Amino acid sequence: MALTDLITAFLLLGSLGFFLAGTLGLLRFPDLYCRLHALTKADNLGLGLVVLALMIQSDSWQVVIRLLLIWLLVLVAGATVAHLIARKAQQDGHQPWRR
Amino acid sequence: MAPQTSLWLRFTLRLGGCLFLWWVLTGGRPSSWIIGVPTIALALWVMNSAPQNPALNISFVGLIQFIPYFLLQSVRGGIDVAHRACSISLPLDPRIIDFPLNLPAGRAQIFFLNSVSLLPGTLSADLVGKTLKVHVLDHKVDPRLHQLEFQVARLFNCPLRGGDD
Repeated sequence: MALTDLITAFLLLGSLGFFLAGTLGLLRFPDLYCRLHALTKADNLGLGLVVLALMIQSDSWQVVIRLLLIWLLVLVAGATVAHLIARKAQQDGHQPWRR
Repeated sequence: MAPQTSLWLRFTLRLGGCLFLWWVLTGGRPSSWIIGVPTIALALWVMNSAPQNPALNISFVGLIQFIPYFLLQSVRGGIDVAHRACSISLPLDPRIIDFPLNLPAGRAQIFFLNSVSLLPGTLSADLVGKTLKVHVLDHKVDPRLHQLEFQVARLFNCPLRGGDD
């Protein structure tokens, strides 16, 4: 029992790091496109780790499948919304930031 | 199969899929159907209004190979962007690059578009004809989109063609 709790704590701490990094990217990155990178990728990995941590703690298969579905749906929604925002920005002529 | 029968079959499969999804997500709580039934009706209407694709043809072997590839790339993507966000020097050198698509239009292409955004350093920005505009965080890093395209083609059992047709 203690081992699973330890793994869960480890995974949740990891997810916290990615959510923080994603938010930091949202604040620090120079333009819309770069910010979308930070949001989609860091947050998806963060959520994936939360889901994994909760899966280890769950005691029924239905919960495991539900958690997996939630992650997949958020993945699809996140990627789709990011693409739609980037496409609108492209069509409105937003030039990406350059170093 | 007559076209009428296959239409009904498709509708039944979609309805069944939606009902199952809602049931799993809500744990089958009766009161949740107050939201569930209108949501499912809306989802079916949207699916019906979208252009209809031929039957799904997913390769099992392709799926088994795609899942670990995708998970590994997602982890790399998350670590990569987290590292960039936390670095004092903010190591970014973004560009929009053109990627000529070799996948046929439809499901495989949309799947590819969404996967691109979850891979390290790439974001699918716009689709113009058969060219995908990809925003990359660092243009000096090879985004390896051909590798992803190969994986998606194998997953959907579809051929990769040149951009000529």
